[in-house]
Amino acid sequence: MRLWDGILALPLIGTLDSERTQVVMQNLLEAIVSNGAAIAIIDITGVPTVDTLVAQHLLKTVAAARLMGADCIISGIRPQIAQTIIHLGVDLADVTTKATLADAFQIALRKLGNGLSAGQSGPPR
Amino acid sequence: MSSTNQTSLPVASQEDVVAVRQGVRKAGVEAGLTLVDQTKLITAASELARNAFVHGGGGNVLIEHVEEGARKGIRLTFTDQGPGIPDVERALKDGYTSGNGLGLGLGGAKRLSSEFSIWSEPGKGTRVTITRWKA
Amino acid sequence: MERIPILKLGEFLLVSIQVDMHDRLALSLQDDLTEKIVATGAKGVLIDISALDIVDSSIGRMLGSIAGMSRILDAETVVVGMQPPVAITLVELGLSLPGIRTALNVDKGMELLRRSLEEQRESLGVLHKPD
Repeated sequence: MRLWDGILALPLIGTLDSERTQVVMQNLLEAIVSNGAAIAIIDITGVPTVDTLVAQHLLKTVAAARLMGADCIISGIRPQIAQTIIHLGVDLADVTTKATLADAFQIALRKLGNGLSAGQSGPPR
Repeated sequence: MSSTNQTSLPVASQEDVVAVRQGVRKAGVEAGLTLVDQTKLITAASELARNAFVHGGGGNVLIEHVEEGARKGIRLTFTDQGPGIPDVERALKDGYTSGNGLGLGLGGAKRLSSEFSIWSEPGKGTRVTITRWKA
Repeated sequence: MERIPILKLGEFLLVSIQVDMHDRLALSLQDDLTEKIVATGAKGVLIDISALDIVDSSIGRMLGSIAGMSRILDAETVVVGMQPPVAITLVELGLSLPGIRTALNVDKGMELLRRSLEEQRESLGVLHKPD
């Protein structure tokens, strides 16, 4: 899973069902803790479709990671998936998304460099 | 639905609330619930136990191992003879507080459980039942 | 009655919650912390909850109170070590711990506090003293 110190990358491949997504997301959160990774990139380039449940699990995972003090970037959202997400009314406003894993990695490095990777909105800095 | 292995614990003090958490954990482990499901169940139980103690004047919780067809799980029934909840609908909505902060207690417990039911009558008391099925 | 120990780490205070707390204990922790922040002039508080299997709305409120109270006393609070099942449950519960900063562990929490303190001091034009 590991890309670089402090950044965890999780490429998801294949069709996701609700149960599998939950397990994978829990494992990601555990990996964040055990690796001390302040940023995790969930790459869904290899995922053909996403339904409401899966989208919600992804968002819950991002929220959970933030509560723990880490941050998540979702990369590899294809146009079809982006459309599905809009149609499902899922709100991605709060989540950083990037088209490619490489872009996500750049953002992650920058965040770590700025020391911005702490979870949970707090008092304005 | 069949129920076995029943344990009743008092909910009449702060120490009882802690004991309830431990009792529910034990039941969750026995039932083979995943760690996340155990955490959800115990957290819900903690909310409901606190409600029964703080708002219901104390009561008890019945912890049962239940089976329905192929599925197994844990059912918790919190009962108190307190003042009851006049507007259950409203109480289920988050952020609704009365004095010591009932907010998130009922609504939260509902969201954390597979099944949730509540009976409450002003002047008579309240009974909340939650179930967590093993995945 | 048992009390939760508060350690002094330089300009910061570290609280490690190891026990299943009841409300009275949570309240006494808040009292003890307030006193200690004032007594030591601490600039930050680290609350280590890595030993907590459960965070319910009551503990959530306690953390919120501590953060709010510390801020009034000019200290920042960072909660560290939240376990994944706890985080998942809190998200499900809808409890968002507003105004509370978090970090993965004590080290990262300290880093966060130090950086924040540095920024504060720089912006106030105070000379940065080496540790």
